[in-house]
Amino acid sequence: MKQVWSVIRREYVERVKTRAFILSTLGMPLLIIGIMAVVGFVAVLSEQSERQIALIDLNGQLGERVQQALDRAGYDVELAAPGTGTEELDQQVLDEELEAYIVLDDTTASEAVFAYRSKEPPGGVRSQLMRAAIVEEVVDLRLGQLEDGESVRRLFQGGSLEYEPVGLDEEEAEEAEAERITGMITGIAGGIILYIMMLAYGAQTLQSVLEEKQSRVVELVISSLRPWQLMLGKIVGVGAVGLTQVAIWIGCVALLASLALPTLIAAASDFEELAQFRQYLPGPGAVLLLVVFFLLGYFLYSSLFAAVGAMCRNLQEAGQTQAPLIFLIIIPFMLQMMTFQGNNMQWMNWVALFPFFSPIMMYPRAVMGDVPAWMVAVSIVLMALTVWGSSWVAGRIYKVGILSQGNRPSPRELLRWIREA
Amino acid sequence: MTQNGTVVRLSGVRKTFGAHTAVDDFDLAIEPGTIYGLLGPNGSGKTTTIRMMMGILLPDGGSVELFGGAPDFARRSRVGYLPEERGVYEKMKVLDQLVFFGEIRGVGRSLARTRAEEWLERLGLSEWASKKVQALSKGMQQKVQFISTVLHDPELLILDEPFSGLDPINQDVLEEIVLEEKERGKTILFSTHLMEQAERLCERVCLISRARKVLDDDLKELKRRERTGVVAVEFEGEAPPVATWPGVSEVEEAGDALHLTLRDGVPTDELLAKVAAEGASLRRFELLEPRLHEIFVRHAGEPAEDDASSRTGGVS
Repeated sequence: MKQVWSVIRREYVERVKTRAFILSTLGMPLLIIGIMAVVGFVAVLSEQSERQIALIDLNGQLGERVQQALDRAGYDVELAAPGTGTEELDQQVLDEELEAYIVLDDTTASEAVFAYRSKEPPGGVRSQLMRAAIVEEVVDLRLGQLEDGESVRRLFQGGSLEYEPVGLDEEEAEEAEAERITGMITGIAGGIILYIMMLAYGAQTLQSVLEEKQSRVVELVISSLRPWQLMLGKIVGVGAVGLTQVAIWIGCVALLASLALPTLIAAASDFEELAQFRQYLPGPGAVLLLVVFFLLGYFLYSSLFAAVGAMCRNLQEAGQTQAPLIFLIIIPFMLQMMTFQGNNMQWMNWVALFPFFSPIMMYPRAVMGDVPAWMVAVSIVLMALTVWGSSWVAGRIYKVGILSQGNRPSPRELLRWIREA
Repeated sequence: MTQNGTVVRLSGVRKTFGAHTAVDDFDLAIEPGTIYGLLGPNGSGKTTTIRMMMGILLPDGGSVELFGGAPDFARRSRVGYLPEERGVYEKMKVLDQLVFFGEIRGVGRSLARTRAEEWLERLGLSEWASKKVQALSKGMQQKVQFISTVLHDPELLILDEPFSGLDPINQDVLEEIVLEEKERGKTILFSTHLMEQAERLCERVCLISRARKVLDDDLKELKRRERTGVVAVEFEGEAPPVATWPGVSEVEEAGDALHLTLRDGVPTDELLAKVAAEGASLRRFELLEPRLHEIFVRHAGEPAEDDASSRTGGVS
């Protein structure tokens, strides 16, 4: 057992030290934040204009309202004095004194169609913001002229579904709703994490086995270790690296929720709604269940990935050979994506019982409360049995495979390996 | 260290891979404290034999015993095994790698570190301890591999082609260490296709050709038995007409010396007497021992690299 521990430590330490791990662990959140920052910055930057935008109101009703609306949208707009001609403004644009000007006329007042006169077309953000600002003012203006304007306005706001719980008081109903949303978020996030982990770290196990086999270091190792000890150490070591990565990511989210969020809310009261975000964070039960599904799913797949690595001579061969395993991971993910969109097909619950699909399909169902508890329990038992069986098979393939330098075995040879190992 | 009984014993061992017989009806016994050479050309079955000793391959027939029992895990841990197909963890640091190998061979972490440092010092690799293995030359990597097989201070060293790929200087270093380990009471089995190396180091040799054992004997004994009656002579001044002497069947010039092949049953004394009678003065008179290579060729034919070639040489 001490030796397995040495293998685990080597696998873990050597992997965590690599630049690839540090980059992917810290880089991923930084990259996401960075992309968001850059996108926002570029959008803001493109909207900053040193030159003026003017507004000319030929209709006489909209001028000031639109100016204020555009001001709220972040544009510094000057309302041209009444009687200013478009020729004059055109000349200013040509002389580069003005960047652009907007013409509000009778069609604008009735249909929110307006002219934007400039040497260059407006950017996507600008045309979106200006259109929204002006159409809102026009709708407001038109509704103000109607007798039942207020009720029409409410219609425009999209109506409202008012849920009236039967047999529950209001407080309980709110709790149930929060729980549902929590389950949804946890289910989606958990499903994606499981998917990524099994795919990425399964592949790393394969790579690790293949490296040892290719560099021929394995025979030096195997004279002191039983093959299963080496395989187990490898799987646990790589898995621990994966858990470390997820823990760091979850830690980042927790940090964000507990530190960054209150600061943000304190700074800008507009973000107050974000406070609700915290009440949707998953409870310890859901996290524990995630760990159980992760362990079972990871062991199931990584032992098979290890066997594939032992069967092959190089990465190209391994790429082809691992295809069935990759499909086994991708298919449930796609099925799950279908049902995430509220496509509630009961028979999918039975599909989720298939042990190779369970991590990705059963976990979200369990935390969303879509399946009865007994089904979750059965699924865990089935997975445990499958892990036991598949690791037995994988262990035997591994034992023969790591020392074989010959061709990739045919299915029949593979059966012989399993029987005779 | 005291060792009792045969360290390795193979009896009638056979191993086939599909239609190819790698080892056939093989017997071998290695006594404690000896340096044993397993000799033969590439592809003759040396590595397969060694892998069976280490329990990596199971024989199809016959039995393998290590320290008087099956080569199970506990017994294997008393062996330092340097495989022919050996690699390194290229991205690991030298010392980390050695500590890891020490640990999986059952040596505690701190002891493994101390021993690894001692060995690195001894093999002149101290300054490389914290470098990644991939920065080392092939020869240095091979030394690291060797250290990793002896860190747990094993009773028996099984070294498969330990000298291949080493330059002459490092071959000497490794030979010296092998001899030192023997002095410390270790048993050493190594395989090689280099006959000269075996000649220098081994006390006992086993010659394999095409999956079969050809010879297995004490090296000195073997050479004595295999003498062919060739005498190397060098004369001061003019050489007498040796080719006309009745006891000599063949004369061959070898630099300053003449190699005289004596007819069967002619003792060397007779030749000496003849020299004295001729009044010639000798600078050198030596009964030549056969080279291991010649013995091998005599018993197995020219070493064939290709196993598919037809069986020409037979077992004498």
